[in-house]
Amino acid sequence: MILFTSSGLLVLLSLSIPVGIVLFLLAFGIDHFFSPFPLMRGLGQVIWSSSNSATLIAIPFFVLLGEVLVRSGVARRTYAALDAWVSWLPGGLIHANIATATLFSATSGSSVATAATVASVAMPQAEKLGYDAKLFSGAIAAGGTLGIMIPPSINLIVYGFLTETSIPKLFLAGLVPGLLLALLFMVATAIVCGIKPALGGPGTKVSWSRRISSLKDLLPLLGLFGAIVGSIYAGWATPTEAAAVGVGISFIIAGTQKALSREMLIESLKGTVRTTALIMLVVIGAYVLNFVLTAAGVSRALQDLLQNLGLGATGTLLVIVLIYIVLGFFIETLSLMVATIPIVVPVIMQLGYDPLWFGILMILLVEMALITPPVGLNLYVVQATRKNGSFTDVMIGAAPYAVAMLAMAGLLILFPAIALFLPSNL
Amino acid sequence: MTQLLFWLRRTNERLAVVAGLLLLASVTVTILDIIARRIGLSLGGTDELSGYAMAISTSWGISYALTCMAHVRIDLLRAKAAPLGRALLDAVAILALAGTALVIGYRVWPVLAKTLKSGATANTPLETPLWIPQSLWFAGWAWFAVSASVIAVAVVCYTAAGRFQAVNEIAGVRNEV
Repeated sequence: MILFTSSGLLVLLSLSIPVGIVLFLLAFGIDHFFSPFPLMRGLGQVIWSSSNSATLIAIPFFVLLGEVLVRSGVARRTYAALDAWVSWLPGGLIHANIATATLFSATSGSSVATAATVASVAMPQAEKLGYDAKLFSGAIAAGGTLGIMIPPSINLIVYGFLTETSIPKLFLAGLVPGLLLALLFMVATAIVCGIKPALGGPGTKVSWSRRISSLKDLLPLLGLFGAIVGSIYAGWATPTEAAAVGVGISFIIAGTQKALSREMLIESLKGTVRTTALIMLVVIGAYVLNFVLTAAGVSRALQDLLQNLGLGATGTLLVIVLIYIVLGFFIETLSLMVATIPIVVPVIMQLGYDPLWFGILMILLVEMALITPPVGLNLYVVQATRKNGSFTDVMIGAAPYAVAMLAMAGLLILFPAIALFLPSNL
Repeated sequence: MTQLLFWLRRTNERLAVVAGLLLLASVTVTILDIIARRIGLSLGGTDELSGYAMAISTSWGISYALTCMAHVRIDLLRAKAAPLGRALLDAVAILALAGTALVIGYRVWPVLAKTLKSGATANTPLETPLWIPQSLWFAGWAWFAVSASVIAVAVVCYTAAGRFQAVNEIAGVRNEV
């Protein structure tokens, strides 16, 4: 049964059948071959109850927020302001890439959108200032992954929904690891550029008066972050309500930048519906598979299998981490998360790990999947904004950041408090 | 066939805008509810309405994502394949999708049928007659089955005729960027 599920998953995925559909097919197969009673009669009800959700509507809200923000033109000024603040470090402008990505992550729930936004404003600068493209573009791809770690995060909403974990607590848990990871990225940049200065650019000296005056350009995004995250933690709003407020503010920001138009609105709405639908097909598929796996006793069988391996809690965890790293080379973020949550999370919980902590660890591992070739969505996104140069450049440039992520995973496993301190003390 | 496919794509695009407006309406209601709560009023039922908006915009949006070729596919093998192999993989993918869409359409109907028969209302203060959101939701899934079947038939015809480029244009991979 386990062999059927896992090999079926890999074979169907490699046939390039859409991921959401693969999850449905697996559910049909398990129901047909292994379930003592017909589960599929309940399919309609499962689909209705999984999509009729005031929690999940936070996903399209955050996607819409991002769509509006990307079209608002706020990225350019944010980038220039952060450039003034961080570009004195060894590596120069590369730090501005990471800082801008961090700030955008704090308002956007998606990694791909974050990477695309930063790439669109940063890449022209790299060419103008004669930066080596490798590390520069790698930093954007890696910085973009922060989008799903620093709250708000669409992936954490999905994780919370599927594992019945508190989403506000997940958001709190992601904050410190996200910022720490951004710091590690900057350290990695400084180290690499210290060893090989040619990879970075000249550190620039900026006067303090210019720095201070640039702060006002950071206000829109900081304000947006404060409104979304602040209102959740203050208990004024649920994540869904905070997302709605965020959409409202993003329209105001776009309005002040004179970027609002009918066409822009229609494109934003179409983009939102498309992205939401592709996320939801996968989520509904996972929900259905979850239902079938539990009802047919597969989850149970898998837990027994892992326990019989006698690896102990730590050993099993490391095996799971390794599986994620390997799968991450080939499968993309959300698909990887959603396809494995129904199988892995019950096991993790049985081993006595905190699902809150594991959620953050899983996010970190799927972030790595975004920048590991051959399938690394953020690498493609960054490559797509370049006028010339090979894909390999971006791949090599992202490697130091993948190492930083591994280091972060190690820290998170050794010191779970990095993630758990805030949610258990606030 | 080409015309039908063109019409399908344009219709789905329009439907997506409508689904987007539904989401925007939901954003507005949610914001109004927060404001109302701060000044001591309660609109009530916002969560319930948001849930319906989500279910409906999802079921209709899935067709749009299909005609945009936005549904996530792992195309490692496909990228390495020759045009014939690529078209065959596209055909397998769309047939699996259309088959699943038909099963889903068949299985979601009883949810609506039961509601229509019993005249069930939501167990909430609004007492929404459930057939209203559920029929819109069901129609979205039914439309998905129709869209998927049309594309599947087209892909099979094109593949049989050796028109691999045409297959790629209606059922290839456009990874979301």
